Parts: sequence; structure tokens; C-alpha cells
Amino acid sequence: MAFIIICSDVLDTRQIESSVSTHANGAVCTFVGQIRNHSRGKDVEYIEYQAHVALAEKELNRLAVEAETRWPVTVAISHRLGRVNVGEASVVVSVGSPHRSEAFAACQYCIDTLKVTVPIWKREVGPDGAIWIEGDESVRAGTD
Amino acid sequence: MKRYNFRPSFPADLRIYMLLAKDAQKACENYLAPTQQLQAGSTSAQTGGSRLIGAHMPTSGGLYRSLTLGAEIGCNVVQLFTCSPRQWNHPELKADDVQAFLHARDDTGIDFTVAHDSYLINLAAPSEEILEKSRRAFLMELKRANTLQIKWLVTHMGAHLDQGEDEALARLAQSLRQILEETDKLGYTVGIALETTAGQGTGLGWRFEQLGRILRDVGDHPRLGVCLDTCHVFVAGYDLRSRERYDASIAHFDSTVGIDKLKVLHLNDAKKGLGSRVDRHEHIGFGEIGMEPFGFIVTDPRLMHVPAIVETPDSDTMHEVNVRRLRHMSEGGGPYAEVTVSLFGHYSELSKGEPVTLKLPCCTTLKDALVELGALNDELKNIGDHCRFAVNDEFCELTAQLVDGCAVAVIPPVSGG
Repeated sequence: MAFIIICSDVLDTRQIESSVSTHANGAVCTFVGQIRNHSRGKDVEYIEYQAHVALAEKELNRLAVEAETRWPVTVAISHRLGRVNVGEASVVVSVGSPHRSEAFAACQYCIDTLKVTVPIWKREVGPDGAIWIEGDESVRAGTD
Repeated sequence: MKRYNFRPSFPADLRIYMLLAKDAQKACENYLAPTQQLQAGSTSAQTGGSRLIGAHMPTSGGLYRSLTLGAEIGCNVVQLFTCSPRQWNHPELKADDVQAFLHARDDTGIDFTVAHDSYLINLAAPSEEILEKSRRAFLMELKRANTLQIKWLVTHMGAHLDQGEDEALARLAQSLRQILEETDKLGYTVGIALETTAGQGTGLGWRFEQLGRILRDVGDHPRLGVCLDTCHVFVAGYDLRSRERYDASIAHFDSTVGIDKLKVLHLNDAKKGLGSRVDRHEHIGFGEIGMEPFGFIVTDPRLMHVPAIVETPDSDTMHEVNVRRLRHMSEGGGPYAEVTVSLFGHYSELSKGEPVTLKLPCCTTLKDALVELGALNDELKNIGDHCRFAVNDEFCELTAQLVDGCAVAVIPPVSGG
């Protein structure tokens, strides 16, 4: 039973962890992705996240179910949209499991897969302007 | 209808929501995209009894293949060449081939078949030698068609080759009288449908009056009729592009030729303009004629009994789409599909974050929609090379069919996390 959350609020890591922290689980492994103050040699003030929400939900759900099929784990993933400031979390992947090795493996699988398949995009904004990141490419954004 | 948000403004109680995996999976299983519904509805079994719509089908692998392939793409009428259209001499049909064809006819339920004759035949040729060769070849065409129990053999009216139109029409009438008489004696059932032409070079049959004159000169005969090709009549100067002009052109046809003589329709859009007299077929709705006139034709009660056949390019991939497009309209469907396209990543700036609405011919593929998008903005020209696409929140291939009201999403490489 996976938990998927896409929202524009500040992510509450503890709350997300609690959804996979049952008494049967001896391990909870959580990955928190947060906004860095620099990217590609430039200062970053904040990132704006955009998503195809319906499709992103489906993809997150698909990869979480995949992880739960491969390992004896429970997965919770939440991703934030809109403006996220430096130091704030943009994504939280929390995996609960009876033992730690599966929790580590499933957690890494989820975040790695999320980054290449889920339709969410970032627009990095800094003093030099804004840049869209699309896969390995970056595209200078217009001003808003 | 914003499907994504820079600065989301969800209602408070929807701000955080959870999807239970099993429920979501079930929801996905139950979800049947309109494209799939459409494909499910286009099998030949479900088109039986409706208006005759089909295509000119290839015969490589055997004549019967035209029928089996036609059935696969939703045809309930098929046109074919019974031999290579660019050669004079042909061996007789083999009994096995005839049997296979008639079996395929029974298996597919495609009872109505039409043949098209060789391009070399000129029943109005000024040269005695060519004229005789043409009459002999045409008799062989009729023999093959009759053996295969084909209903109509479509032929062009030939060319006068600068030897005078009047004399050429007289020779054509003489050829037809002779051929009908000869084949009446043999008890043939296959009819001859004279096709309207584009008026290229010295070709005959591009004015309705020429067709009318031939029919009068030969005399009323149940096995002599006419095939109207929309591309040909349009480039010959008969406009079809509004209800009034369509009605006027059909009325003109009726008064000069007679609607009761119309036995076959070739439905092709035209690459070239009205009156250009240049014969280049285009996919339904993508040419100079446009969608509406095809809707007028396939829903015209006067023409309901006349089989409609497409002879458009890219037969292996596009016949299916063109047949589906015509059938959709014949069943009362609108000629267009209005589709919203949401752009993501840096492309979203091009439309200021709002979806773009495209008005496309009905039953269009995603690939066609991308061409239209490219025409709107140079930056969108090559998005097919590196973007993925979704229709109604499902990832899909470029061959996906778009229906009215569907939502397309352009998904560049992602960067979440």
C-alpha cells in the first residue's frame, strides 16, 4: 500500500515517515531532496516546480507499486510543486521494511526512477535569471 | 482548464491527498482511453450494414489480400486492380486465385467490390492500333472482373491527344457500345463506371457535360454508370466547399449526367486548388477541399447507396485513418476534433502556461497534431524527436487517435526531485 502525495505545501517529513513506520517494520529509510543554493556554477534563490499532476500521480504510484512488488517494503513519496526556497524539501521518499537493506535499496530505486520518469519539471531562479531543467539539458527561461 | 500549476491553488481539502495503490491500480485498469474505445468500435464486424466505405487496397500476395486487408482496416467495400495497371498483357486468372478471392469475400462479408482498369487503356484513342489494343485489354479487364463477381469496373474516359474532342468522344461512345453489346451476349454482370477526371492534358471526362454526352450517345444501359472522384471534380472546377456550392455542383451533375447514374464515389481530398486541373490526391480533410464536404457526401441521402472509396496516399498506414474519418462522419460524427494541448517545461512559456486548442480533422493521429503545432510556432517543430506525449493522462505513441475533446500533453525530458 503506497502513499503518494503531490502538494504545494511545505513537506512534513515526520508525517510522511509515520505512514510507513508500522510496528512490523524495523527499518525506515527516508531520502529528502532539498533546494541547493547553487546549480551549474550559478547561484540559486529558489526553484519553481511544475507537474502534469494527473500523470505524475500515476507514475509515482506505478514506481512505488513496483518497489513494493520487488522488495518487502511500504513506500511513501511526496513531491512539492510551486516555489520551493533554498533549504526546503522538494521531495521526500520514505520506505519502511522489516530489515534495513531492502529499505535502502527500495528508497534508492524510487528516487532514481522518479528523477527520470515522473512528469515534473524545475525552473531554477537566481540573480542571473531563470533556467528550465529538462533531463540533462537546461533551457534559458523567459521572464515572468 | 489548467492541468498543472506553477503556483497551485488547490482547494484546501484537496491540498494533500493520498492514493491507495490498489484503488489507483484498479482505476487504471477500468480506465479505457477514447482511442481504445474507438479502435474497438472499428472492426469490420461492427460496420456491417452501414454505409459502404472502403479503400483501394493492394493485391500483393494475391487478389484476395485486398479483401482481408480491407476488412482489417474497417472497409466494407474494396477497390482493386485485377492486374498490373501499367502493362498491356496479362495472363488469365488462375482458378485458385478466383476461389481464394471469392472465399475471402464470403469470410470478410465484403460483397461489394470495385475494380479499376489499367492506366494504359484509351477507349477514345485516335490511333486505330491503340484503340483496338485498348478495346481488347478492356474486354479482358471486364472478363477478369466478371469472373471475380466484381460489381463495377471503373475506367477513365481516355484522352483525345489533340486529335479533336468531338471525334474522341464519338470513338469512346462507339467503343462502349461495342463492348457492352459483346459482354451482354456473354451474360456479364459487371458494369462499367466512367470516372470523372481532373482535366490534365487532353484527358476526357473532366466536364460533366462530356460524361452526359457519352451516356446519351451510348444509350441507357443498366451496366453503364459513372464514378465521381471528389479530387478530380474539384480540381476540374466544381466547388464543394460549402453546403450551397456542394448542392450546386451535385445539382449540375444531376442535370447533366443524372444522380441515378452515379455508381461509385472516389473520396479523395485534393493537394491542388479549385480549377487547377492537377490531379494529386490528399488525405481526407488535409487538402484544399477540407473536412465538411466529405461530411456532406457521406450523409447525403441521395448518395447513401453509392459505395465510397478512398484512394489517398500512404495506403499502408493512412487508409485506415481516412476510412475511419469518413465512417465517423457517416454515422453523424462531427468533421473536426477539438483538442487541447498542454505544454510543459520551457515550452509552457510559449502558451503562457495555458493549453492550446487545435481544431483538427476528426480521427486524426497525434503525429498529425504535432505537425499542426509545429505550424503554430517554430520552437514546436521538432518536439516529436525528444518529447513524450500523453493523451487523456496516459502516455501514448504518435499513432494514437485523437478524438473530439481529448487532452494532449507534451512531456519534455523531466527534472523532478
